[in-house]
Amino acid sequence: MRAVARLLDSFGSGARRPLRILGVSGQLGYGVPTPALQEGLRRAPDLIGCDMGSIDIGPAYLGSGEMAPTEVGARRDLRKVLHAALDAGIPLVLGSAGSAGAAPHLDNTLAMLREIAAEDGLHFRMASIRADIDRETVIDALRAGRISALDGMPELTEEEVRSADQLVGQMGLEAFRRAMEQDPDVLIAGRACDTAIFATLPVMLGFPRGLATHMAKIVECASLCCVPGGRDTILATLDDEGFDLESMASGRAATPASVAAHSLYEQSSPYEVVEPDGRVDLRTARYEAIDDRRTRVSGAEWIPAAGTTIKLEGARFLGHRALLLAASSDPRFIALHATILDEVKQVVASLVCEDSAPDYDLGFRVYGIDGVIRWREPPSPMPREVFVLGQCIAPTPQRAQEVIRTTKQYLLHHGYAGRLSTAGNLAFPVTPPEVDAGAAYRFNVYHLMQTDDPAGLFPVRIEEI
Amino acid sequence: MTRLSDIATVIRSKNAGPRVLTLDLIFPDVDSFEFVRSAGERLRDEVARVYGLPAGQITIIHYAPANAIKITLPRAVMAGDPDDSDIYGAQQHAPLFEVAL
Repeated sequence: MRAVARLLDSFGSGARRPLRILGVSGQLGYGVPTPALQEGLRRAPDLIGCDMGSIDIGPAYLGSGEMAPTEVGARRDLRKVLHAALDAGIPLVLGSAGSAGAAPHLDNTLAMLREIAAEDGLHFRMASIRADIDRETVIDALRAGRISALDGMPELTEEEVRSADQLVGQMGLEAFRRAMEQDPDVLIAGRACDTAIFATLPVMLGFPRGLATHMAKIVECASLCCVPGGRDTILATLDDEGFDLESMASGRAATPASVAAHSLYEQSSPYEVVEPDGRVDLRTARYEAIDDRRTRVSGAEWIPAAGTTIKLEGARFLGHRALLLAASSDPRFIALHATILDEVKQVVASLVCEDSAPDYDLGFRVYGIDGVIRWREPPSPMPREVFVLGQCIAPTPQRAQEVIRTTKQYLLHHGYAGRLSTAGNLAFPVTPPEVDAGAAYRFNVYHLMQTDDPAGLFPVRIEEI
Repeated sequence: MTRLSDIATVIRSKNAGPRVLTLDLIFPDVDSFEFVRSAGERLRDEVARVYGLPAGQITIIHYAPANAIKITLPRAVMAGDPDDSDIYGAQQHAPLFEVAL
């Protein structure tokens, strides 16, 4: 009998008791503070969960298959939580493996776990769930009118589906339940709803889905729901009427206001959590202080949906990116920057397209003016200094460098109207000021797909280590 | 006139998915929350003005459990596209500092 069966068995045979869940990290790979994790382990938890990913980090990770944290960081954190769970004999559940949860991310995470096990002499049963969605499945759904655009995305096309470098679906509780039924010690999911990491076992044990999902949505961010918010392990103690939250770092307090406010975080509505097969209504949620560091939460209601809808995420290769890092402190350059940059773009095009096509995209962001926000009006007065970020995306790294190096030279020496500083227009903060920034991607799939076969989309694999 | 930045304890922005920006205003007490809530459509009009968007594209949700008001806007550029200047959307809140009610 493995960790999941032991837990299910202890509930099946013993008296009903609260379930203790540790949310260890919202982004495994960036460090798990040891004191709070150790405190959590002293509370005899039933489950350790960690989220590893998100769509919020941008399309580069999904598209390229790379992880967001370093491999060293990811390996260190995986080792820490793996030992913690195996020592305690409780399930370890990880979602959105390797940052974006596609095949390269999941495979890399599984490989690291196997290597850690071999190095440390660990043995366990590992379940993994793939989140990659077959392109033909998506195209069939598209033809059947079962794909809809999210948040104003353009309608999906077959060309976009086929050109996605990676295409994943966010699996929910259904997939985790199938994996749990195989009695793993360790469950590693590809792209997944963060709630499924923490809510699946409670729901299998008969705890209310609304409460379990609300709890999951909070603990997946570890102690972020506290004041002050932070990355330390959090403990949720779930019963049939509600759950208690306590940060495992003594300096962090889960207060009714801080926990209620967490429902705002990165969500378009604080009143609901949408899942593939329903949603949680938080309008009826209540937040009550137990003491000055702990809050009890109750009242969330689960509302099942008529069918299953999977959120699809895809990223497509755009080209290779090169950057120019430059700055100016010249008031005339700063005043005329928009005209100067336009003129230099034209000069560059005339030079680099003499015997090749205009096959690149060159743009500038001028920090100090409107580098971050598209303000309605320029600043008044203009700033004393500006930073100029040049960006070229081109079919090859060589072409991107050709364009960005030409841009550097002609922007440096561009003779604009009223120029006094004839030795050079730019201050370069580093050498070389042109930087290779790797492959560029964009999200090209962000759509919902109705499905009658969620089990077929997210296959479970079991491995004895 | 009272500026939001004079009464809110939190003014922040973040992506809610790659195509939506969500702005949170959290107030220290019921009185300040109710003051802004009672401004009604004027808040929407002000947000529309400082972000240069039609008022119809702005959603405002009052969230009493946290004395908070959530404002959601469509992103002008999808997160991570070449023209996107703020991948996480975490620095799009500054125009709210101009809002006074």
